[in-house]
Amino acid sequence: MSRPLESVSHEKTNKIAAWLQTTGGIVAVLLLVQLLTGVLLAFYYVPSVDHAHTTVSYIEKVVSSGSWLRSLHHYGSQWLALFAFLHVARLFWNEAYNYHKAHWIAAVLLLLLVMAAAGTGYSLPWDARAFFSTRVAEGLMGGLPFFGRYARYWLLGGSEISTITLSRFFALHVLLTPFVILAVVAWRVFRARCWSNLNHNAIAGALVFVALAIWCAKFPAPLGPPVETATADYLPRPGAQFLWLYETLKHVPGALGSIVGVVLPGIALAILASLPWLRARRRSIGGVVLAAFAVVAVTMTVAAYWSDRHDQRTREQLARQAEQESVWRREPFTPTRLQSARTTMQAANSGGPPVLYIKFCVDCHGPHGEGARRGTLKFPPLLGVSAKPQRTVEDIVGLLKDPPAYGLQPPMRSFSDKLAEPQMREIAQWIVSLKK
Amino acid sequence: MNTDRDQPDKSRRSFLQLLPFGVFAGVFASISGAAFRFLRPRLSAPSDQWLEVANVTELSGAQPLAKKVVAEQVSGWAVTTAEHNVFVLPAKNNQVVSPICPHEGCEVMWEQARNRFSCPCHESYFAADGARISGPAPRGLDPLPTRVQDGKLQVQYRVNPDQERATQA
Repeated sequence: MSRPLESVSHEKTNKIAAWLQTTGGIVAVLLLVQLLTGVLLAFYYVPSVDHAHTTVSYIEKVVSSGSWLRSLHHYGSQWLALFAFLHVARLFWNEAYNYHKAHWIAAVLLLLLVMAAAGTGYSLPWDARAFFSTRVAEGLMGGLPFFGRYARYWLLGGSEISTITLSRFFALHVLLTPFVILAVVAWRVFRARCWSNLNHNAIAGALVFVALAIWCAKFPAPLGPPVETATADYLPRPGAQFLWLYETLKHVPGALGSIVGVVLPGIALAILASLPWLRARRRSIGGVVLAAFAVVAVTMTVAAYWSDRHDQRTREQLARQAEQESVWRREPFTPTRLQSARTTMQAANSGGPPVLYIKFCVDCHGPHGEGARRGTLKFPPLLGVSAKPQRTVEDIVGLLKDPPAYGLQPPMRSFSDKLAEPQMREIAQWIVSLKK
Repeated sequence: MNTDRDQPDKSRRSFLQLLPFGVFAGVFASISGAAFRFLRPRLSAPSDQWLEVANVTELSGAQPLAKKVVAEQVSGWAVTTAEHNVFVLPAKNNQVVSPICPHEGCEVMWEQARNRFSCPCHESYFAADGARISGPAPRGLDPLPTRVQDGKLQVQYRVNPDQERATQA
């Protein structure tokens, strides 16, 4: 049974109603924007924890139009989540679950896929914000009942967050989810050939694109400090589409977070998708689910903004972070030095730094221990450090295990989880051999 | 029969039918305009770094000598360090030639038994002084800028001799 959507709820579709039925066109335009900008960003992006932040910085600072295109991708994903939800709500209002099953199911699936794409994409820049969002995703998966532990390992690609994790998120974000999204869109187009208000949809899509383009020209997408230079007082904040989840998790104890963040939204979407097959009370069940979803999302998003604005310390710290980012944007881009295996071997054979120093320490302390500068942070040289008190080989090994015990503050962090004691000793012996 | 009144309605309808395609084309064109700049290759100026080849006293004989130089290159967001082969021609006043075949860019090798350079890809051959003998290569092996500093022969390495022309253009 099929009939034009505009005739479903009321035959008299007035002009305002016609404009309210344009969410599909807006979603289509925003999906196109995500697809095009995503393909372009992949030309420069490298999914590795060593290079992801550098390549995103390169896109932001060096590549022509890079900042605008990344911004389109970043804010486009947030607008897409909003309009995908409004599209489901609009179809529900028109009772599409009764008359256009394919149309309805495609819209619900798209909402799920858009949120999944946003969730996996958030980790890719590998700034401090991305790192914490990956931690949250890990925690949410790990807290799932029955198979949580395995789901966590599967998502991470191992027992800890590593460069494999980033590769997984990249593959899920740029290959799997877009492929499924395109399949759903194609299914929707060929299965449910009903188009209402095509021109209104086109005009609304165009207007939203122009608004997004202007917004992105004015506000570049955020990029926090690299994970290894983030200070302990850094406050990560998710994108607008996940603020409701961030705020909700503040009020939910322990593993209940996984129920609230994964299980309940999953059940809600499953109920919405199965509405066409429910025998009775479709309207009331779907209405309750959508209303609950909307109330939680709006209330928690507003609460997240409100709590950040009303806590003075939080407000000041967020302002500091914004200022640091602004300073970072004005600084010229510094290319990263890649150590080829051959060069690393040569260094190891010629009294150069140990391989693990090159891996873990060189970014901050320089290839010869001369110190370095990253953004606004200046890292101390190690040359002649053995002349200072508390800097024997034993002290440096202890310092690598527990920096605060030796009076060092973040971004210097403990390497107990990365290096075995003999490896720390090898690095320490090389450091004490450095002369001014 | 209101054909005169129907005509504008018909053309208006056909215009409106094209509108959605126009919007998609507009979005595509806006992003493509930025993509054109975004994907433009960034040519780097040829390195003016002098790389040490060998002590001049070590360089003698009639045959080319294979040497290695280590060069740094800025490639977009990365600085890479790579080892390159070069050939020193002691018989030609220590001229240094690039091992890159000017045909399609494969690396030539020195065939001592036949006293010639040969390209393994398309069978171009070059004499011991780098001049072209036969094959599809359009010219001889490219000489690289050299100087002698403190008794050491130094060279400026070029991956692609065309690079200099391209960046100067």
